[in-house]
Amino acid sequence: MLNSLKGLLLTLRIAPRKPVTAEYPKKHLPIQDSYMGFPVLTWDSRIGEPYCTGCMVCVRMCPTNCMSALMKDNPLNKEGKSPRKKIIEAFEINYGRCILCGICEEVCAFDAITMSHQHELGSMARNGRRVDLPRLLELGKLYQDESGWRPPTEIEKEKQAALKTVQASAAAGAIPPPVVQPTSPPQAGP
Amino acid sequence: MDHWFAVAASIGGVLAISCFLAVGGMFVAMMFGWKFAVLTGLAQTGAALVTAIVALLLIFGGWRMVFIAAGTVGLFAFLSVAVLAITLYERKVLARFHQRLGPMRVGPHGILQPLADAIKIVTKEDIMPAWTDHAVFWLAPIAFFIPTFLIWLVVPFADGWVVADMELGLLYLVAFSVLAIAGLFMAGWSSANKYSMIGGLRAIAQLISYEIPIIVIVITLGLTAGSLNISAVVNAQNTAWYILTQPLAFAIFFLAGLAEIGRTPFDIYHAESEVMGGPFLEYSGAHWAIFYLAEYINTFLLGVFVTLLFLGGWLGPVLPAILWFFIKVFAVIAVMFWFRGTFPRFRIDQLMSLGWKFLIPLAFVNFIVTAVVAFYGLPAYVLAIIELAALVGIAVLVQSKLTSPSRRPTLRLISARELRDAQ
Repeated sequence: MLNSLKGLLLTLRIAPRKPVTAEYPKKHLPIQDSYMGFPVLTWDSRIGEPYCTGCMVCVRMCPTNCMSALMKDNPLNKEGKSPRKKIIEAFEINYGRCILCGICEEVCAFDAITMSHQHELGSMARNGRRVDLPRLLELGKLYQDESGWRPPTEIEKEKQAALKTVQASAAAGAIPPPVVQPTSPPQAGP
Repeated sequence: MDHWFAVAASIGGVLAISCFLAVGGMFVAMMFGWKFAVLTGLAQTGAALVTAIVALLLIFGGWRMVFIAAGTVGLFAFLSVAVLAITLYERKVLARFHQRLGPMRVGPHGILQPLADAIKIVTKEDIMPAWTDHAVFWLAPIAFFIPTFLIWLVVPFADGWVVADMELGLLYLVAFSVLAIAGLFMAGWSSANKYSMIGGLRAIAQLISYEIPIIVIVITLGLTAGSLNISAVVNAQNTAWYILTQPLAFAIFFLAGLAEIGRTPFDIYHAESEVMGGPFLEYSGAHWAIFYLAEYINTFLLGVFVTLLFLGGWLGPVLPAILWFFIKVFAVIAVMFWFRGTFPRFRIDQLMSLGWKFLIPLAFVNFIVTAVVAFYGLPAYVLAIIELAALVGIAVLVQSKLTSPSRRPTLRLISARELRDAQ
């Protein structure tokens, strides 16, 4: 009975607090950096062309078949300005079918596609969420600017280099190398 | 003359229900586009019906009967608006206990939300499943609604603001609140659904059990006030509200009242997680709306009767009487929502044992003590001290009983270690 009174007091203390509800369309809560929104194509600003070479690996791996891509010879490569022999000519993602799984980003070998922060792309038309190459690149630039995006392969290279220097110094005897104990499997028994 | 009162009131109630259904029909008509024909027909039929009824009442009963019938219809209109207000009030108050905002979209701060809900519910299809007992199924909401509605005839909103100022108002209250059980069980029985059936049976068990402490407390109050007229009971609290002189009676009445109207923590007969809405499970559209209306009218009713019997009704300084009345009523209703935001639901066995082993004996003891105090003409504060001491004593007793390890409830979790140690 006294516990009931305690419970009543507890809820009474909650009541005057400020409600935590955010009224969504009027007020937007900040998005986390790690948020995975719709995939967009990245823009290589050093050369002035997309990263994407149209290799179709993301198109083939997409579980919902929401993408299509077309490849062409890269004119900038002939002029000697770009290392890419092939470049994307047309790319389309149907955001209405995309399930945000992130497989396209994972399989891409050219840092060309990434999961952006886009999430409010609703449309009333059946094909209203099909996005073409210029729009994808536009969204990609937006995402690169706002998140300070760097090509994941470059980041990986730096990591490897750093690891090598650590290992080299360890081999010289400065720091003992980290020893990884193999974890024993849990004993199954009576 | 008196049986005419019952006839007039019943006719008024039926009239009110048909108005409700007619409004629902109007919405349906608007949806399907045959507005004009239906509206005209409806208006003509309604006018003819009202004229006929007024004429009949005038011939057989005189102007007093016409007044009661008109008051009944007016009360229905008032209660419909009040129920809309209370649904919004509940959602807003409960939201605060959850740190939410509640409805915010329809109108400024969601003020028009109940209206949108009402339009939605009357325009929905009114389904009657094939296996139901059709006549009983159709009548059950009305059988539930009419008794709860008729209680309102004796509710005084201020001094003299009452449709029927009965000498035995409190007896009338008790009599009609029991009748509502029939509607609940009719709904449960006729739905041809096991959950509805169990819900109906639970409703019978719960409502009949908790009717007893309410009756005893009402008798106690009648004893103290010297009258069963509700206005007289209110006026008898001019010196001290009964919540001060009879706190134990207040606690019993409030708890039993919560059980009687099926609100948390006593909402086991329409518990969503156990019987999926109980007797109301198979209902939809306008018929379900009548149940809903009756439930909220009941909520309002408990607020009103706690106010009238224990909080001095419309008595209060400065502000007008009617305002005082509604301030107190809505404060009591807020406490009910507070309970809903705090307590989980009782099990059926806990509910029955609370009723039969605790509230009913306590109510009788309270009655005897009050009778003794009244017999010897002791001053009111003696009763207040006795009751307060009893309340505190019970609280301490229950607390020690709950916390002592030998008196744990029937269910106990036993760990593997305990089992091993016991062997």
